Amino acid sequence: MSATRMIVLPHGTRADRDTRPAARVGRVVGSILLVAFALALLTPFFWMVMSSFKGPNEVFSVPVRWLPEVWHVDNYFALWIDTDMAIWLRNTIILSTVVTFLQVLTGSFAAYGFAKVRFPGRDVLFLLYLGTIAVPWQSYMIPQYVMMAQFKLTNTLVAMIVLQAFGAFGVFLMKQFFETIPEELSEAARLDGLGEYSIWARIMLPLAVPALGALALITFVNTWNDYLGPLLYLRDKSIWTVQLGLKNFVANNVTADYSMLFTGLTISVIPIAIIFLLGQRFFVEGIATSGLKG
Amino acid sequence: MTSAVTGRVGTPSPRRSKLRLRNTVIGWSFILPNFLGFALITLIPVVQLFFISLTDQNIFGKGDFVGIANFQKLMGDPLFQRSFVNTLYFAVLHVPLTIVVSLGLALLLNSKLRGVAFFRTAAFFPYITSIVAVGLVWNLLFSPEYGPINEVLRFFGVADPPGWLLSQDWAMPAIVIISTWRDMGYYMILFLAGLQTVSPELYEAARMDGANVFQRFWNVTLPGIRPTMFLVTVLLTIASFKIFDLIIVLSPGGTAAPNMATVVLSQFIYQRGFIESKFGYASSAAVVLFVLCIVTTVIQFLINKKRSA
Amino acid sequence: MKRKLVVAVGIAAVASLALAACSGDSTPEESTGPVTLTLSGWSLDTTPEFQVLADGFEAATGNKIELKEYDAAEYNTLLTADLSAGAGPDIITQKEVKYVPVLVDSDQLVDVSDVKIPDGVSGASSYEVDGAQYAVPYRQDSWVLFYNKALFDEAGVDYPDGSWTWDDFDAAAKALTTADHFGVYEHRWQSTTQGFANAQWDGDIFSGDYDYMSELYERRIAREDAGYEMDFAESSANSPSYQGEFGKQNAAMLPMGSWFVATLISQQASGEADDFEWGIAPIPQRDSSTIDNPVTFGDPTGFGINAAIDDAKLEAAKEFLAYSMSEDAASALASIGITPSNTSEAVAAAYFAVDGAPSDDLSKFTWSTHDTYPENPTSAQTAEVQTVLGTMHNEILTRAKTVDQAIKDAAAAFGAL
Repeated sequence: MSATRMIVLPHGTRADRDTRPAARVGRVVGSILLVAFALALLTPFFWMVMSSFKGPNEVFSVPVRWLPEVWHVDNYFALWIDTDMAIWLRNTIILSTVVTFLQVLTGSFAAYGFAKVRFPGRDVLFLLYLGTIAVPWQSYMIPQYVMMAQFKLTNTLVAMIVLQAFGAFGVFLMKQFFETIPEELSEAARLDGLGEYSIWARIMLPLAVPALGALALITFVNTWNDYLGPLLYLRDKSIWTVQLGLKNFVANNVTADYSMLFTGLTISVIPIAIIFLLGQRFFVEGIATSGLKG
Repeated sequence: MTSAVTGRVGTPSPRRSKLRLRNTVIGWSFILPNFLGFALITLIPVVQLFFISLTDQNIFGKGDFVGIANFQKLMGDPLFQRSFVNTLYFAVLHVPLTIVVSLGLALLLNSKLRGVAFFRTAAFFPYITSIVAVGLVWNLLFSPEYGPINEVLRFFGVADPPGWLLSQDWAMPAIVIISTWRDMGYYMILFLAGLQTVSPELYEAARMDGANVFQRFWNVTLPGIRPTMFLVTVLLTIASFKIFDLIIVLSPGGTAAPNMATVVLSQFIYQRGFIESKFGYASSAAVVLFVLCIVTTVIQFLINKKRSA
Repeated sequence: MKRKLVVAVGIAAVASLALAACSGDSTPEESTGPVTLTLSGWSLDTTPEFQVLADGFEAATGNKIELKEYDAAEYNTLLTADLSAGAGPDIITQKEVKYVPVLVDSDQLVDVSDVKIPDGVSGASSYEVDGAQYAVPYRQDSWVLFYNKALFDEAGVDYPDGSWTWDDFDAAAKALTTADHFGVYEHRWQSTTQGFANAQWDGDIFSGDYDYMSELYERRIAREDAGYEMDFAESSANSPSYQGEFGKQNAAMLPMGSWFVATLISQQASGEADDFEWGIAPIPQRDSSTIDNPVTFGDPTGFGINAAIDDAKLEAAKEFLAYSMSEDAASALASIGITPSNTSEAVAAAYFAVDGAPSDDLSKFTWSTHDTYPENPTSAQTAEVQTVLGTMHNEILTRAKTVDQAIKDAAAAFGAL
């Protein structure tokens, strides 16, 4: 019962709690289901973390062994001591932050043009944006690389930034969100003498916090986890990202040392998990807390 | 579209065309910062790709113009036919399943109850777990003889459980399951953001009118998140048509499951373009993929427009 | 404003004078002085062969080699990107033979037919395209049989004696299998079966007729069904590494390329692999007629020259190619566990002097005596045919089709290319 009420009452709070016995049973069952579900979701992650503590030839065994025979905590120390993890982390943070900032800024700006301003050719232009998402990157990465080489941008972090910051994804997401914001709000603002740019900055953005949060998080994670792009563009070790450095370390370490790989992957996931845990509340705040109920 | 600055349809007049010009300038001024980067970095090479698809270039760009020969050859290429059908099959299963699961998850986790932060994070974890680990673990889980999944099935009396990733009939369903598992947290986030735009007053009003849970979901929630639904459907469809990484890490031995049961279009493009160095030919398959995505997107666009009108 | 301009012009003039002076100095020596060549490599920390060759070449000629590191798994893609962008290395290491035709076809490689290939160097023919030589081999691995002497002793099975045919191999696999370990481990690659069929049955992958592969597939399926080796299906699901399967004594025998010798030595030294006695033997033969010069397969690794190289560097680059096949270079490579293309007796001595290397006569014979066929013929069509054969490999070993049916379907797929 409670679960179903949550469905229809997104802003249900603890005060709404139903105290009837049947509801309480429902809640317990719901919680158990959620926990079981979470376990299923986390199984591969759990295996990855456990494998990071295993010995080199121990990762794969028939049948599956979930826990390490001996706990190789030294894997983690080895990784920190033997690699330039600090530099990779710094590069990845710079890259992810700048890309996220540009994507959110230019994406939401362009989205306003697509959602709230009517002009000829708008829908076709938008379709063009969407169309490029449909083309697999592999099929144009070499021509793109040659072009970037002509701009003298290969082997720089700038290349990765311009490559990832102007995607169609952010535009699309923000456009869809802006379209849910009632037109009356903008009209009222215009009557108050606000220009279009002020409406974007003062009305739209504050209302769009959940969407901005979702866009920022997804962009950050995608940039953080990208492997093939940095592999192609970032050749100097001084500008490597975490993913790139880790894969290289593992490839260079010993033949097929999967436990080390998973040690690295576990480390690389931790910052994202923390950011998500801290940032996820933004998805459900926004309109409800901004006081501007539609 | 519920949106417009001004300029409703009417008889053209000097004032209107001036307004139109003003709107065009304003519209472009918003779009331009993103568009410049987009056009320069992505659009140019993509347009180039269309020309390359009309040549027999290899990966170094050496080759001649061949017209539509590549497309004709595609039609007769068994590997292409197979990957086209498989891609559609995957999308048809994967898109609805993922929408249902991720929307359900978003509804369930759209509350401020204690502990919900943990579950939201847990739901997103499959998406951030390394694809290499995902592939390895699911191969273990689906292992026909010793895998935990088949052990559970046998426990429940399934005498002859499927061979999953190694079976011609079950490989694709298995990949759909794994793919849904991986993607649902991602689309859940989009749905969560979308759900925040639905005004609580509407639910209250619907409740006053005596609407039950499903009526409220159908008449309040769904219309309220229509733009998000469109976003998710389009992104998900395109992503499904383009599926690549997951297939690669899940295909035993790096090649396809029996009888090419899991070969998809992106893989075809990679195989012909990079492994076999037939770049022009691979580009023509990329163009087909592009057209497929555009056609379905336009259809979704029109349906969405009709519904919201 | 005007004064600024004058100053600017003045600076430019001084700068150009200085530049002219510099270049003026070095012009006469440019053709004779030491040059620096760039060379592509991968995983440099664990693949010391490039540095060894670079050092040796510098000591011998005074020319320098600067290594450019590439990712091992995406080597071809990254190299392609760099070559397309005009930023490729002077000397292009040929990691996989099958990319040579593509590079040649795109005019990326210099014809190096004038570089003399010393006697006793094997694998050069893999780099011949239309009668011209486009790269030279410095390294030539070939497939051998690794066996665990301890497990043989335990089972009371005689060590391989260099006369084994596939019947002997099957019998040994059976005798060696216990509850704890398999008789043999075969990795998932298609070459583990097809490579031997191509070499020993004189197969032609461009004939479209793959019947000659059926015997080895039938044998493998029989071994799997009898439980003498891990099922392909199980191996696919669990992705065990061949290093682990042999190194952790999960299997008593392992057909594998000779590169594994160096890995096994280092893994035993570091404790990653168990400590046990092992040896290498010739791969089992189709029949006993070839035991004196056992037929096996393996691809060379080689060097080619970038067609966009400076003319001034071309001679030095060719010198490097010649050096890489010399006995000096081969001995240096052998002493770090690499199997060079040049396997003279002196080179063999260097190879087996490595600490931890097997010392029995059969291992030495195996290493230096063999008739090694290329894994695949060098042709622009190779990659496509390999796709077809990869599908066939999978279909047979996952039991999706019978051997005969899969071979028939592969023939049809070949016909459709």
